[in-house]
Amino acid sequence: MRLTGFYALALVAGLLPVLFPGNYFITVVGIAAGLNVILAVGLNLLIGYAGQISLGHAAFFGMGAYASAILTTRYAFPPLLALSAGLISAGLMAWGLARPILRLHGHYLAMATLGFGIIIHVIMVQATGWTGGPDGLTGIPLLVLFGWAVDSDQRWYFVIMATMLLAVWLALNLVDSRIGRALRAVRGSEFGARMMGIDTARAKTQVFVVSALFAAFAGSLFAHQQGFVSPDSFNLSISIDLVIMVVLGGMASTFGAAFGAIALTLLHEGLVVFEDYEMLIHGALLMAVMIFLPQGLFVGLSQGARRGWTLVCRRQ
Amino acid sequence: MNTVPIPTSSRPLLAVEGLEQSFGGVMALAGVSFQTPESLIYAIIGPNGAGKTTLFNALCGFYRPAAGSIRFNGHELCGLPTHRIAALGIARTFQNLQLFFNMTVRENVMVGCHLRAKTGLFGAALRLPKVRREEEQLREWAGAALELCELSDRADQLASALPYGLMKRVEIARALAAKPRLLLLDEPAAGLNDTETLALRDLISVIRAGGVTVLLVEHHMPLVMSVSDRLLVLDYGSVLTEGTPAEIQTDPRVVAAYLGGAVQYSLSNTDPYVA
Repeated sequence: MRLTGFYALALVAGLLPVLFPGNYFITVVGIAAGLNVILAVGLNLLIGYAGQISLGHAAFFGMGAYASAILTTRYAFPPLLALSAGLISAGLMAWGLARPILRLHGHYLAMATLGFGIIIHVIMVQATGWTGGPDGLTGIPLLVLFGWAVDSDQRWYFVIMATMLLAVWLALNLVDSRIGRALRAVRGSEFGARMMGIDTARAKTQVFVVSALFAAFAGSLFAHQQGFVSPDSFNLSISIDLVIMVVLGGMASTFGAAFGAIALTLLHEGLVVFEDYEMLIHGALLMAVMIFLPQGLFVGLSQGARRGWTLVCRRQ
Repeated sequence: MNTVPIPTSSRPLLAVEGLEQSFGGVMALAGVSFQTPESLIYAIIGPNGAGKTTLFNALCGFYRPAAGSIRFNGHELCGLPTHRIAALGIARTFQNLQLFFNMTVRENVMVGCHLRAKTGLFGAALRLPKVRREEEQLREWAGAALELCELSDRADQLASALPYGLMKRVEIARALAAKPRLLLLDEPAAGLNDTETLALRDLISVIRAGGVTVLLVEHHMPLVMSVSDRLLVLDYGSVLTEGTPAEIQTDPRVVAAYLGGAVQYSLSNTDPYVA
């Protein structure tokens, strides 16, 4: 019952490539959407559940990607070891940053995380000796999992979907637990949470680290999947896109965040045909959603559907 | 009228000594001292601005007092962060609600059980079998607190969907779920109608019967006088007097503090809001 939505998501992810084998929209867009789901679900733990904003989350995504890129190309690390190093460095960075930064509230926290995101981006561009500068790094080797090379779009689709489902499962578990309730309590009332014995600084640190780990994991996969990384993939507009995914789908809902991530990925793809007008339509659509469905697409639509269903039942 | 005998032998659970707190030159607490014996209902009354809520906030570690000490069950509370104070066995409700409006009533109360459970980040994320068992236990504990506060039929509603009177009950249920030794109730009757206030009085008596010491800040004099074992009267941040309800009601200083000394008035029948 608790995991019904999860099984539905798994079913869809599994059936799509069977129904549409080799379809560009599934293997290419699906991979991008899957990565975005991991990022958004992790960020939603921080924004939606714990009520802390981060406008610099692409930095952690980038740290995972660059750790994999640098360590595999320059130091010949095996991919999984490089991925672990990426997780550790992003986790440590989040942990070190959390205490000073998460004391801040509202606009101040937004400014601080924004600044962090920009600093990491500047490092990616400027530290050319390590990162390759604006041109980025190429020649990132294939991801090999215990002798199984992920060397085709189909395989990547499988790996990304499996990781995405793992991320969704972990998030669902976390939210509906003692730890998740403590996070939601922090959002509901910090005074109330503290009075109930919750160490709010610790709770915020934990969720910040967890969401950074989700992002870094997605970053490592992204680096191997693309075979190439550059700072453009981790700039401010990506951070903002991630926040939009969470808000668009519906805050404090794991499936809402996943839905928002998929919707925004498809929107970017679908609007390419409008060329110059892409950003215009993109912005107008987002405004319309926020005005008419302020709880987000997923939460708003599912509530609407439930209300409609009750009406239908009552009429009969 | 209160007839419960005061167990004179019981040692103080809470001992406040010379507590001082000022806000920008205003002495909110000017050297407050008192002792609360265990298993009593101890009320703190006084006109608005007397320092009652400031005292509660100091007890909970929301402020660090400028001077003085607060000893609870052998521990010094001054300087401890709030969550550590809670862990020593103190729970409270708030005058301005601090509910988790983004959660259901049951989840609110389950947060109250936070300190009675151990589940950590990894166990929670992987939903290990022992975590699942603990979760069942928490639901059971929360269910008992909800039952006691007559909220069972509202358990799965969002806290924000309840009427005000029930929200205040959820705060009490959440505090009780922590199994505190000392429960601070900050104006629990404010905003309640007569029926709800009577139900609250019964609930407070039940809580006391369960062995919990209650510290009650309240303006509703009929409630305070009928439920409390002892009262502390604060005025301008200082202790005016301390005693049983009968002593307090006949103390001319208390009457003067509330009414400016102009009128003779029995506090037991007073509408507190005229003060």
